[in-house]
Amino acid sequence: MRTLDATIATPPIAQADRRRQLAPLLLSAPLLVLLLALLVWPLAHLLRQSLLLTGAPAAGLTLHNYFEIATVPRYRHALTWSLELSLAVAAGSTLICLAPAWLFTRYQFPGKRLMRGILILPMTFAGMIVGFLMIILLGRTGFIPQLLERLTGKPFLSGVGYQFPGLILAYLYFEIPRATLTLESALRKLDSRLEQAGRSLGANRWQVFYLVVLPVIRPALISTFAVTFSVSLGSFGVLLVLSIRRFTLLPLEIFTQYIAPPTDQGLAAAMSFTLLAVAFATGYGLRQVARRMEGGNA
Amino acid sequence: MLRRSGFIFCLAVTVALMAVILLPLLVVVLGSCVNASLLGLSTDLWSGSRNDIFDFSAFAYIFQNYGDWALFSLELALGCVAICLLVAVPAGYALARHPFPGSLLVEELVLLPLSLPGITLSMGLLAAYGELRGPYLVLAGHLLYTIPFMLRVVTATLRSFDVGRLEAAARSLGATLPQRLFLVILPNLRHAMMVGSLLVFAVSWGEFNVSFLLNRGRPQTFPAVLYDTYTNQSIQISSAATTIFLAIVIPAVIAIQWLGGRESSDLEQGA
Repeated sequence: MRTLDATIATPPIAQADRRRQLAPLLLSAPLLVLLLALLVWPLAHLLRQSLLLTGAPAAGLTLHNYFEIATVPRYRHALTWSLELSLAVAAGSTLICLAPAWLFTRYQFPGKRLMRGILILPMTFAGMIVGFLMIILLGRTGFIPQLLERLTGKPFLSGVGYQFPGLILAYLYFEIPRATLTLESALRKLDSRLEQAGRSLGANRWQVFYLVVLPVIRPALISTFAVTFSVSLGSFGVLLVLSIRRFTLLPLEIFTQYIAPPTDQGLAAAMSFTLLAVAFATGYGLRQVARRMEGGNA
Repeated sequence: MLRRSGFIFCLAVTVALMAVILLPLLVVVLGSCVNASLLGLSTDLWSGSRNDIFDFSAFAYIFQNYGDWALFSLELALGCVAICLLVAVPAGYALARHPFPGSLLVEELVLLPLSLPGITLSMGLLAAYGELRGPYLVLAGHLLYTIPFMLRVVTATLRSFDVGRLEAAARSLGATLPQRLFLVILPNLRHAMMVGSLLVFAVSWGEFNVSFLLNRGRPQTFPAVLYDTYTNQSIQISSAATTIFLAIVIPAVIAIQWLGGRESSDLEQGA
């Protein structure tokens, strides 16, 4: 009995403490190394590259590449079109996917799991695949135009897949899973008794939605918007397949700038960093706003 | 009554979204092997003159010409799973159980790539390690996009119950460190590790933006096969390639969905 007590008492507290501090650092060391080597260091390199002139690196650091993005119409349009498209798609997908998210969190019915599985399916589809699917569906000899031609005798909707509606539909296609899942996890936390209370006080359906539900889910809407916006902003695969005339997006410009022969790495790096700054600023900023709202509500 | 109409409205929108998702997939899968004229499609773009109902020649073509690409993509995805398990599981345990100064920053940093354009990150990798351009740099790019998924699933699981108390109980019963690791911690993480591995596999298999820029020469990843067929081949061959792609991705998504709802909400962001 005595020896047992002694063994329990002996481990020096200082040594155990040091081990407790060191162990988590050791366990996460590989991850830290990977992050530094694959994320921080490359981004630092990219920033430096964007500040150098491609032809004359000896000229020192300059903002010339960024000025070029702001002044050359093609690049400027690529940036503004990217922003506009991403804003539209993010707003649209957030609104539309409110319906399935509401359905999955508020109602119990057979087949729910299957429906949810189908909506999550496009999660890992690259944009390029979705572009191809749009051609299949709405291209010049797509399934829907041919079906309509068979039914009505006239080629309706032919080639729409190659135009703006096809582009928007393709972006919505791969945002559906992200928007639905983000909204769903937020709605699950929402107490349905709040709505019942609102209704019992005489509010109609829309009043309940605007006055009770909307204020509570506003942070979720904002963070869903942030997620879908940043994903849309970086995607160029759809346009790689659909290629609409006289229309371009910033990531596609970077891609062609890097792949097609008269390459300008400094300019491509500056475009990349512009894209990164916009994506990071909106993503981070909106998430902060959402977090503050959530804090205010709680 | 109000509740009923809300249900019907949400159901209608959801069914419409399901139709938008499923219809092109159905046409692609059927079009890859069934005679196009039977589907009501004009045959000139889809394939030559054929009288058979089924025709699997497009699949044979893909396997013959791009078999090594598919194999490379599978190896890459499995490699990502292995590295993610080795790197992200211990780190996830440390971050969730023993937060240290700056550990929140580390978690933010891990999630950062998910909200950054893939093209930017791959350009950064090229700027820093341009001479390494090839399969290893592709692996590096994939890791940036797959580690967040594994880490999130592991930390979410560890935070959902009091694992510290379980460990303390085991220690008070005399369990040594290896015993606690293999009999207490890892069994509780098995589910998370399975979901995480499936997520990592699916994300890596479907990744295109990063791989295309970081790779050089043959073999490329499987989504690059898709790009190659979309730009150079008939629609039927493109459809066959897409069908093969789906045949790998759909079972993975079904398994994730089947294994559990809680972790699949960690899918919410992605490549």
